[in-house]
Amino acid sequence: MTRTATILSTLLVGIGATSAIADIPPRPENLVFAPLTFEPPKASDYRFVLKDGTPVYMAPSAEFPLVTISFTFKGGSYLDDAATTGLTGMMASLMRSGGTATLKPAELDEQLDFLATRISVAASDTSVSASMNCLKSNLDESFRLFMDIVRNPGFDQARLDVLKGEAVEGMKQRNDNADGILGREWANLLYGEDHFESRDITAMSLQEITPERMRAQHARIFHPANLIVSVSGDFDKAQMIARLENAFAGWTKGEPIPDPPAPTATMKPGVYYVQKDIPQGKVVIGMRSIKRDDPDFFPMLVLNDILGGGGFTSRIMQSVRSNEGLAYSANSRFDPNVWYPGDFRAGFQSKSPTVALAIKLIDDEFNRIRREPVSSEELATAKASFVETFPQNFSSKDSMLRLFVSDEWTKRPDGYWTTFREKINSVSPEDIQRVAQKYLDPSQMAILVVGDWTPIYEGNERASMKNFFDGNATQIPLRDPMTLVPIKNPAK
Amino acid sequence: MRLLAATAVAIAVVAPAQAQKVEAETFVLDNGMKFILVPRHDQPNTISAGWLAKVGSVNERPGITGISHFFEHMMFKGTNTIGTRDPKRDAEYREEQKLLRDEINQLTWSEQYARYFRGEIDDPWNPANDTPKLKELRAKLKASMDAQQGKAYGDELARLKAELAKEADAAKTEQIRANIERLQQEAAANTSIVKDEFDQVYTKAGGSGMNAFTSYDLTFFFITIPSNKFELWAWMESDRLNDSVFREFFSERDVVHEERRLRTESTPTGIFDEQFESMFWISSGYSWPVIGWPSDLNSYTIEEAERYWDLYYRPNNLVGFVVGDFNPSEIKPVIQSYFNRLKPGREAPPPVVTLEHKPVAEMRMNAEVEAQPSVEIRWHTVPFRHKDSYALEILASILNGRTGRLYKTMIEGTEIASNAGAQSETRKYAGAFSIGAETKGTATPAQLEAAIDAEVKRLQDELVSAQELQKVKNQNAANQYRRLQNNMFLMVQLAVAEAMGTWQEINEQAAKLDAVTAEDIQRVARTYLTKNNRAVATYVRKAASATTADAGPDDAEIAKLPPQMQAGIRDMVKRLAQEQDADKIRAALAQMDSQGESVPEPMKAAFEFMRKKMAARLEQLEKK
Repeated sequence: MTRTATILSTLLVGIGATSAIADIPPRPENLVFAPLTFEPPKASDYRFVLKDGTPVYMAPSAEFPLVTISFTFKGGSYLDDAATTGLTGMMASLMRSGGTATLKPAELDEQLDFLATRISVAASDTSVSASMNCLKSNLDESFRLFMDIVRNPGFDQARLDVLKGEAVEGMKQRNDNADGILGREWANLLYGEDHFESRDITAMSLQEITPERMRAQHARIFHPANLIVSVSGDFDKAQMIARLENAFAGWTKGEPIPDPPAPTATMKPGVYYVQKDIPQGKVVIGMRSIKRDDPDFFPMLVLNDILGGGGFTSRIMQSVRSNEGLAYSANSRFDPNVWYPGDFRAGFQSKSPTVALAIKLIDDEFNRIRREPVSSEELATAKASFVETFPQNFSSKDSMLRLFVSDEWTKRPDGYWTTFREKINSVSPEDIQRVAQKYLDPSQMAILVVGDWTPIYEGNERASMKNFFDGNATQIPLRDPMTLVPIKNPAK
Repeated sequence: MRLLAATAVAIAVVAPAQAQKVEAETFVLDNGMKFILVPRHDQPNTISAGWLAKVGSVNERPGITGISHFFEHMMFKGTNTIGTRDPKRDAEYREEQKLLRDEINQLTWSEQYARYFRGEIDDPWNPANDTPKLKELRAKLKASMDAQQGKAYGDELARLKAELAKEADAAKTEQIRANIERLQQEAAANTSIVKDEFDQVYTKAGGSGMNAFTSYDLTFFFITIPSNKFELWAWMESDRLNDSVFREFFSERDVVHEERRLRTESTPTGIFDEQFESMFWISSGYSWPVIGWPSDLNSYTIEEAERYWDLYYRPNNLVGFVVGDFNPSEIKPVIQSYFNRLKPGREAPPPVVTLEHKPVAEMRMNAEVEAQPSVEIRWHTVPFRHKDSYALEILASILNGRTGRLYKTMIEGTEIASNAGAQSETRKYAGAFSIGAETKGTATPAQLEAAIDAEVKRLQDELVSAQELQKVKNQNAANQYRRLQNNMFLMVQLAVAEAMGTWQEINEQAAKLDAVTAEDIQRVARTYLTKNNRAVATYVRKAASATTADAGPDDAEIAKLPPQMQAGIRDMVKRLAQEQDADKIRAALAQMDSQGESVPEPMKAAFEFMRKKMAARLEQLEKK
C-alpha cells in the first residue's frame, strides 16, 4: 500500500545560466538581511496542571507519528551517602532493565522491543528522569508499560548482578583514559573528595547497593510532589491530560527532597599532576566561580565567549591553536552551578614539551583580559553571536520543553528569556574587566596536568613548568581503579 | 509465563510502505554542482546548510595519505578576501614559504631518509636530527611564517622584555620601551593574515556548529544559520570554493599532528585500531588512516594540493544541501547567482579502480593494551546498496540490544562479557561486518571468540525465528521516523548517502530492509561470515608497570589476583603492617565476615587474601 500524499516529489530542475556575478558584493559585510523578529515562547502557554498539582508541559506537533513523554524528578546522586555512592544511578538503570512487579525483565524487554518503544531511566548528579518515545499507534500500550516501570519497578536480583558486573568492568577501565583521570581529579580539587560531585562508585560502595535500598530510594524520589511532566509529538492535549490523570490515580505524594548540598572544601591554588605515559599532556586551569543566578552571570557569559568559549573566534583558541599550532582544541568553559558556585576553567591537550608554553599563553590571556578592556569589535561579535543564536534555544519542541522543565525545578527567575538579549546587550567592556579581575586571578587557580611529567616539567626553550607557582608541583597519585584509594607511586 | 498477544503472532507495528519520506527538491547548476533542498517548518528560524565533496581518504595514494582531511583544515583558512588584510603581500609570503619548504622536503627525502635507512638517525622528520643546512632553512621558514602572522622579532622582543624587567635606570628603560614599541609596530605592519576571519564572520551573524568532517569516502562542511542569513552562507561558501588559497599550509600540520596525538596516540586503543584497520584491508584505499601516515603528513607539497583541488573540489564533484526553515523559490536564485561562478573542473575525478582483494587466509593481531581485554572479529562483506547489505544490517540487529542474541548468551547467559555488539559497515567500494565484545571477570578473549563463533554457527545452521525478525523490522520502521527529526542529523545522513551512491537511499532503505527473509539472513551468514574471510584482533591488558615496582614478600600471591586490583591490595597490606590498633582490625574483620556472601565473584580472591592478612596481623598484635 502506498500513500500518494506522503510520497516524495523529486523535481529535477535544470536552472538556466543567468549568472549574476555582478550582484555579488565584494565583502560579506555589504550584505543586507531581512530582519528576523523572534519573541521567545512563554512557558505559561504550554503549562498545565493535573488535579493532584503535578505540572505538565505539552507541545504537540503532527510532523512525525511519534510521542515523547518525559518525567523529571528532583533528586540524583547527591542523595547517595559516601557508603552507598552509585545507588541512585544504579537504581535508575535497574528500573529500566529489572522488570516490574508483574513482568519478568526479559518479558518486559521483549514487549518493548517488539513495539519499537524506547524507554530510558537515568540519574544525573541532581535530577532523575524517565522518558519514553513510542509510535503514536501504540501509545496506550507503551504508556502502560512505562507507568508500570515508573511506579512498580521489579528490581530483579539477577539483572542487578549483571549491572554490578558491568560496573566492576567499568571501574577497571578508570585509569585507561587520561581524560577520565583529568575529570575525576579536577572535581576532587574543586569540591573536595567528600562532595557528591567528586564521589564515584567503588568496589566497597557497590556491595552496599541492594534491591531493598533501591526500593527505598525509589519511594523517596518517584512521587508526584517531586515530578514535572513534559509531552511532545503527535497527540491530543485533552486526551493526554485524561491519560495522565488516570495513570496517576492513587499515587501518593511523599516528602519534598532537599536541595543539593554545597561543597565545604575550598580549592588550593597550585600545580598538580598525575603521571601517565602518553605522548600528550592533558591540562585544566581554573577555579571556582559563581552561581547561575548571580548578577555577574551575564558579564561572565560574554567574557567566556571572548576568552575561550567562542571557538576559533576566541582568544585562547587563536593564541594556542591558530597562532602556535600547539593543540587541536583549546578553550575555556564557564559552568555556573544552580545550587552553589561552579567553576571557570580553560583546557587543552598538547605534546609534552609544549604543555608549559600553552599554559603560559593561556595565563597571558587571563592577565590581558584583567588588564585591558576588551575591544568594542570583540564585544560586538560576542553579543551578536548570543543574540543571533538565541532562537535556537527554542528550535525544536523537545528542546523548548526541556528548558521549561529545567527552569521550573531549578527556580530560574521569571523573565530570564524575555530579557536575555537586553541583558547580553547591556554588558560593557568595564563589566567584563571587573568580573575578570574578580573571578579570574591566575594566582588563585589550580593547574592540573595528566601526562608524562618529566618532559612536561622541562618544557622547551620558551616555557617550562618552573614558570608557575615557583616551579612547585604536587603529584596526585593514580588511584586504584576499584577502590579509588591513592596508589603509592615510586618517586618520579 | 504470560504471553502477550503481540509476541504470540509476529505482527508488524508499522508498515514500511507507509513510512514517511524525505521530500527533497534537487537541481543541478550549469557548472555541474548539484543541490538538494529539504524545506521543513516545524523548527522555525534556523537553516542547516552544507556541501559535500565526494572525496575521502580512499581517493588518496601512498605519499599523500591524509591529504583529504588536511584539505578540510585548509578550507577554513580563507581566500583572497577573507583571512587577509593584504592579499598581495600574503601571496608573496606563501610563495616564499613554498620554495623553502620544497627545499626542506627535497633534502629530507634524500639525505635524511638515507641517514634513517642507514640507522644513523631515529626519525628523518624530527628537527632535532636536522643537518646545518636544514636548520637554516627551517629557521627561514619559521621567520617567514612569523612575519606573515605578525610575530616577527619574537626572540628579539622576548630578550628586550627580559632586559626591561631587570633595568633600573630610567633613561635606559625608556630606550628599551621605545625599541619594543618600534619592533611591535613593524611586526604588525608586515602582517598579512587576519586570523580565523572565516569563523568570525559567521559567529557575528549567528552561525553555530560550524564544522566539517572527513571520512574514507567523503568530506562534508556544515553550519546552522538564522533563516534570514542564507545569502551569507552562499557568499562565504562559494567564496571559499571559488578562491581558496592554501594559507598556513605548513603551520597547520602541527595542529593535525596534535589531532593525531589526541585521537590515535593518546587513547587506550587508537594505535591498535589503526593497525588492525590497515591489516584488514588488503588492497583497497581503506588500508591507510583518514588522518594519514605521519611521514606523508610532513611531505605534502603545494603542487600536490593544487592538483588534488583541481580534481576533487570542482562543482561537478560537489553537492550542496539546505535543510530547514526556508522557501525554495526564494533561495534558488541566490544559489544560482553565487555558486554558478565556480569554474567547472578540467577533467573528471579519476575512478577508484583498485578493488579489495579477496582474502585467502585468516588474519590475526594480538595486542597488549591499557584497556579492558576484548576481541573483535571482522569479516569482508559488501559495499553500500549491495543487495546483501540489507540482510547483513538485519543480522547485526538480531545480535544487538538487550533482547539481542549477544546479550542473552554472552552477557546474561554465560556472563563472560560486559558488553558485546555487532555492526555492518558498508563503505562506497567495500564493506565489513564485525562482532566485538569485552571480557567480564576472569573471562578471556579466547572464550569470547569461541562464544562469537558459536553464535555465527547458529546463524548459519538455523533460520532466525519469525518473532525475532519481525521485532527487528518493527524497530527499523520506527527508526525511519526518529532519524528524520533533527535538521542537522538529517542533512548529514543525506550527504553520506549521496556521497556513497544516492541520497534517495534514505527513502528506499526501509522497504528493502522489510523484504529481508530468514533465508536471506542464513545465506549471508554462510557466504560472508567464514574463517578465511576474517581478521581477528585480541586485546589483553598490559601488566601495570608503575604499580608493581614495590614488590614485597606477598608478591607471588598478589600477582595471582586480577591485575587492576594488585596495587590497591599492596597498599592495603602496607598500611595493615603499620596498624597498631587491634580493635580496629577486629571490627573490620567482623564487617568483612558479614559481607562475605555478597562479594562479587571477580573480587573474591582479593577479599579472601585480605581477610587472611588481617587475621595474621591481628594475631601478631594480640601476642604482643
